[in-house]
Amino acid sequence: MHPFQPESWYWLYDVPPFRLSLLFVAVFVGFYWLGSIIVRPILRQFVKYTAGSNDIIGYVLSCFCVFYGLLLGLIAVTAYQNVSEAGANVTREASALSALYEDVSRYPEPHAQNLRWLLRDYTRYVIKYAWPLQQRGIVPQEGAIRAAAFYDRLLEFKPATPPEEILHAETLRQFNTFLEARQMRLYSVNSSLPASMWYVMILGAILNIAICWLFDMRFITQLMLGGILAAYLGIMMHLIFDMNQPFLGDVSITAEPFETLYARMEDA
Amino acid sequence: MPPAARPTRRDAIRGGAAATLAAARALAPALFAGCSLGIPPRAKTVTVGMLHSQTGPLAMSATSLRDIELHAIEGINAAGGLLGREIVALAPDTRSKVDLFPKRARQVLDADAVAVFGCWTSASRKAVLPVFEAAKTLLFYPVQYEGNESSPSVVYGGMVPNQQILPTLDWLAGAAGGFRKKLFLVGSDYVFPRTANYVAKKALEAGARGLKVVGEEYVPLGDRDFSGLVRKILDSGADCVLNTVNGDSNVGLFAALAEAKVDPAKIPVVSTSIAEEELRSILPAQVKGHYAAGCYFQSLDTPANQSWVEGFRREFGYDRVTDDPMEPAWCLVHLWKRAVEKAGSFDTAAIRQAFCEGLEFDGPGGRVRLDPRTQHTTKYFRLGRIRSDRQFDIVHASPEPIAPDPYPQVAFPGWSVDWTKDGVTRGPEVDIHGDV
Repeated sequence: MHPFQPESWYWLYDVPPFRLSLLFVAVFVGFYWLGSIIVRPILRQFVKYTAGSNDIIGYVLSCFCVFYGLLLGLIAVTAYQNVSEAGANVTREASALSALYEDVSRYPEPHAQNLRWLLRDYTRYVIKYAWPLQQRGIVPQEGAIRAAAFYDRLLEFKPATPPEEILHAETLRQFNTFLEARQMRLYSVNSSLPASMWYVMILGAILNIAICWLFDMRFITQLMLGGILAAYLGIMMHLIFDMNQPFLGDVSITAEPFETLYARMEDA
Repeated sequence: MPPAARPTRRDAIRGGAAATLAAARALAPALFAGCSLGIPPRAKTVTVGMLHSQTGPLAMSATSLRDIELHAIEGINAAGGLLGREIVALAPDTRSKVDLFPKRARQVLDADAVAVFGCWTSASRKAVLPVFEAAKTLLFYPVQYEGNESSPSVVYGGMVPNQQILPTLDWLAGAAGGFRKKLFLVGSDYVFPRTANYVAKKALEAGARGLKVVGEEYVPLGDRDFSGLVRKILDSGADCVLNTVNGDSNVGLFAALAEAKVDPAKIPVVSTSIAEEELRSILPAQVKGHYAAGCYFQSLDTPANQSWVEGFRREFGYDRVTDDPMEPAWCLVHLWKRAVEKAGSFDTAAIRQAFCEGLEFDGPGGRVRLDPRTQHTTKYFRLGRIRSDRQFDIVHASPEPIAPDPYPQVAFPGWSVDWTKDGVTRGPEVDIHGDV
């Protein structure tokens, strides 16, 4: 798999969150330390250290950190909004399903029973089969079959009285709302930050670290101060990475709205 | 005392490297146990296919088969999977269209399905046969059918006429059935009803049951207008009806019978393709008192069945029912599992070899045995009288399971099958449609 494809990094979402956080920190701090040993002596060849050179480097770093911090902050907000919108889609779908279940429960028998169990079947599929697939970044396919089965059976009902006509029209409208929300959920399975954002973030982190290599100070102090900055960068990257995929990782959407609905369907 | 020497950069690197290595050695096992970064191992999987119509006229019946097969697979997975692998089911929709079955069959086989469960009508089974025979993969077919077929690539889990039609005729002609004399045959116009009725006619011609056929009629699949046909039944003087009508058409048939005030005590209708699932679409008042012939009814009063029914309804809802084709579908999944375990492999040849060692499974309807010669299963014959709660009173059951015979000699002389030896032995060609 191509390393620049998002799917090639999905395995990282299977790492427990604390360990993944440590892994990000270790990679960033390790990179900084390694650079301090290998790259720093080379960089120092190009900088003529005088009394105020650390001040100048510090000033440049501060300016850079403001822009980079803003970028990271905005990207983190975007990623969170992405997760949040996907969560709203899931809730909207479960709510539409719930309303649909109530509507079909008012149909005469055997239509009501047959339509109810088809909706239960759909909900069960979403919880048991679709969700684990989404958590692997795969768009589940068989839910469409269950939705089509429900629609087929819904169309078999021929309203015989004006109240039944009103109920049937409302149910069909509700079904369309449900379909819309369902499609939105499926679209959000693979919604994530564009690759260009990741390039900018990673390049920015490298530049940030490279500027730190330019400081003229005791080696141990440099390792410690730069290490702290690199560790924080790692934590931020981990946070954004975790929110990057709405259904993957620690900060992800659960099937709870569907589970609550399914429990209510079974009780009914 | 000389002042302590200031550590050089080299000392710092050496010390730092040593400290880093020591820390890594100390922390690594805890942080990244087994070099797996703590990633839970993902179970190895094996794929099976399901060919069921989840939309269209056959959906109501066939969807239940998908559900019971999923239920069986979920149970196997929960118990640790099969040969250490999690079973993943692919269930594309065949949309009640016969021409879609081969396409979907190829789709699941292309996805490396090691076995496929499914098909409802004989037409769909016959349509996929070449696909499975070419792929040398097994199809597990759970529905009762007409016999007169054998394929090394199919395991037949439903009843064949010698397990369903012939015992029904015996019952109708006997004391329990009221010594019926005149039988009317009604069916949907496709291979199963025509072949089943052919076997019935040949058996009645050959046997001394005292029952004769006074009429035979077929209606297109899906047809619901039965008023003319019911008039023919009444005009024929029939005192019993063997009904091989399939699918939604039964709604129309029983509505017409009720409209004509046909009394089930005087003219009982014994149906071969009506079970609890189909009764959900028929008004109980129209069908109460008539009969169905099968190998299983939900009302079967055994602890094994009650536990099975409870398990299914707990998982899929308490308004769901279990019925005849579902029981064989459940048994077939478990027979496949046993065969795989015996073979220690998912390979078709090894599984078929395991069939020869004798496979049995205690299903909800009783013990079933897979006959390696025919690749069919033994079956209890049960006759149920329809109640007003859309369930059955079991009024008759065979004392022992009946061995399968896909080629009853009374109808297919000279024909036989033995997959442990030479396969199919062909007799004279039989023209089933000839004297209809």
